[in-house]
Amino acid sequence: MPSFIQSKEMLRVLVADDIDSSRQELVAMVRDIGHEVLEAPSGEVALHLIDSDCPDVILLDLLMPRMDGFQVAQEVRKRVNGKWLPVIVFSSLEGDEHFAKALQSGAADYLVKPVKPIILRAKLRQYQRILSMQSKMGLLAQRQHAINEHIADAVITTDEQGRVSELNRAARNIFQVNDAQVNMRLSVMDLIGKTLKQLMSRAEIEIILPDGRTVWFSVAHNSWAIGLQVFFTISLHDLSEVKRIERMKDEFLATVSHELRTPLTSILGALGLLAAGAGGPMPPAAVELAQVAKRNGDRLSRLIDDVLDLTKLEGNRMPLHLRTMDLRLLTEEAISANASYAQRTGVRIELQCVGHLFQVKLDPDRFLQVMANLLSNAIKHSPKDAVVRVVLETHGPSLKVHVMDQGPGIDKDFRKNLFEKFSQADSSDRRAMGGTGLGLYICRMLVEKMNGTVSADPGVTGGATFTVSFPRIVTPDERTWVLCIAQDRQLQERVLEWLSDVAKVELASSLETAAEIVLHLGAPSFVLADPQAQGPADQFCTKLLRIVANDRILLTGGALDAGFAARHGLQWLSLSITPRHEFVTQVRALLSGSPMDQQHGKI
Amino acid sequence: MEKFERVMCVEDDPDIRLILDFSIGRMGGFSLCLCSGGQEALDKVEGFRPQLVLLDVMMPEMSGPQTLTKLKELPTMRGVPIVFLTAKSMQEEMEELLAFGATGIIVKPFDPMTLPDNIRIYWEHGRGTDT
Repeated sequence: MPSFIQSKEMLRVLVADDIDSSRQELVAMVRDIGHEVLEAPSGEVALHLIDSDCPDVILLDLLMPRMDGFQVAQEVRKRVNGKWLPVIVFSSLEGDEHFAKALQSGAADYLVKPVKPIILRAKLRQYQRILSMQSKMGLLAQRQHAINEHIADAVITTDEQGRVSELNRAARNIFQVNDAQVNMRLSVMDLIGKTLKQLMSRAEIEIILPDGRTVWFSVAHNSWAIGLQVFFTISLHDLSEVKRIERMKDEFLATVSHELRTPLTSILGALGLLAAGAGGPMPPAAVELAQVAKRNGDRLSRLIDDVLDLTKLEGNRMPLHLRTMDLRLLTEEAISANASYAQRTGVRIELQCVGHLFQVKLDPDRFLQVMANLLSNAIKHSPKDAVVRVVLETHGPSLKVHVMDQGPGIDKDFRKNLFEKFSQADSSDRRAMGGTGLGLYICRMLVEKMNGTVSADPGVTGGATFTVSFPRIVTPDERTWVLCIAQDRQLQERVLEWLSDVAKVELASSLETAAEIVLHLGAPSFVLADPQAQGPADQFCTKLLRIVANDRILLTGGALDAGFAARHGLQWLSLSITPRHEFVTQVRALLSGSPMDQQHGKI
Repeated sequence: MEKFERVMCVEDDPDIRLILDFSIGRMGGFSLCLCSGGQEALDKVEGFRPQLVLLDVMMPEMSGPQTLTKLKELPTMRGVPIVFLTAKSMQEEMEELLAFGATGIIVKPFDPMTLPDNIRIYWEHGRGTDT
């Protein structure tokens, strides 16, 4: 409860009674209790005082000449609009029926004469509480209303069907609606040309206003309920100014970029020509200096590109054209685009693909930009004659591209900041390598915009490994697939090779990964599992059975035998002694749904 | 076979014109006509009869696209590739520029040592065709 709302300590009580003595008695009693009193010797005077002095509670005698208590109660109900004025009637009449009649006429309560002080005190105390609560609620409502009316954003309240029940002043002004129209219960569609669903499904929305302007609004919404009835409150914030500033910023950047590049074209052009001897022969020292200038000019040029990309990315203004692409082809393209740089520095790039379905949704140009960055980084940090390995693999629901170099690797403390702005390991490194310090940050932004992730890990054999990961597209013809759970690389490779013409294979090195894959892709056609190096084999089987049904599991691995598998209700097969064609036959049988052959299980 | 020897460059920045002179003219061995704006190019195109035009995009008075449109109207220019020279811009802007009917785009800053080879490639691809 806000502090400015005080509860009412003293009530103003109007006592209306035509008999002086009994009125005096009541007045004294009310004063004793500690309240302020107004006196009325008749119904007419009572009504007059109600209008002029605003009492909080009325004590009303039912039997009065001319205008009696019933009439006064009815009048009170008529004239006090909005505010509740409790009327307590009293009478010495016998029986309950006239009290019932008084309550029907609008009285709140009754007292039997003679009125006992203890009862009166208790009753007034109750009304004091109720009135105080009512006043607090009134003030709160008033405050909320004032806030609602004075905020600049349009606030619209609708019911579930999208019928508008309330509009604040800003909304009425923006959409040019008057109170009468609000009472007609217009729909949001009538009002702003959008359905409730459209409004609630977007963070920003373009609305055509009655004055013909098209304006972008940001949308915030919430729902609330009174009993079973649900309401939605939508607030719309005009983004015209934000958009205008964004546009100005874009234009400014475009101009700046042009203005910066024009002199740079001359500088770099002149230096390039000088270094190439176009200006005549130069002594070696002069050539070296021209090369220094050229190299740094190139860096400045890249920095301008990066800053511009960055501004667009951060402002969400870089348009991405997401398309379904084969990541293998794109990766090959990226490698060939960077091959000449690698060659110049004596580095070889090798591509290895694990698995065979590399469909992803991304912007090919932006992916090539990311790869160019990662590859040039890897080449830059590689020793002479080293190999940069690029590995493309399916990994459960994702496709991963690893770029592994044999360079000095990444310092552990530094790794967490690697993908932030200006975050090269140290500034001397940045200068020595000609980087801008923005490349990896831009990579991360680009990859994230394409729903992927990028990470850096220490390489297994030294060096650094950068990994870009995208969600894979699962096509309907992938319904037949085999999940292979094994840590042994050789075993994995054999399964991939042997089943390359039979079914798609998903590799999982642990049960956790396997569970993740099943969660994403659904149940596999069957599972080939090797419990080796996965903890106790019994536990492994128990956990595995929680992921897939037993008739879909084929255990393998030299450490086990058919007996062990049978104890878990599973089949077993040794991949090291089963020839390829038998294994393939068995898998085909499994995939076509025929029961597994026990004979093979015993090989 | 037609020999590729005449190139017209339209560029408002005098220093870049000088670089182009060195690169395409002196290093590349082309006969070069340097123009500082679109109007000059239109005036000189009849007399020079370029086999390829390298055209800056952002120029005062007459912009690159405007110049391109006017050049394309001339019978002399039929089948002559026009290549835009522009500060690296977004993909969209590139597509827009190509939509004007340019054969290609060379991005600034360019490498003056490889520029002659690049325009030769554009000439081989773009000559005789009207987009």
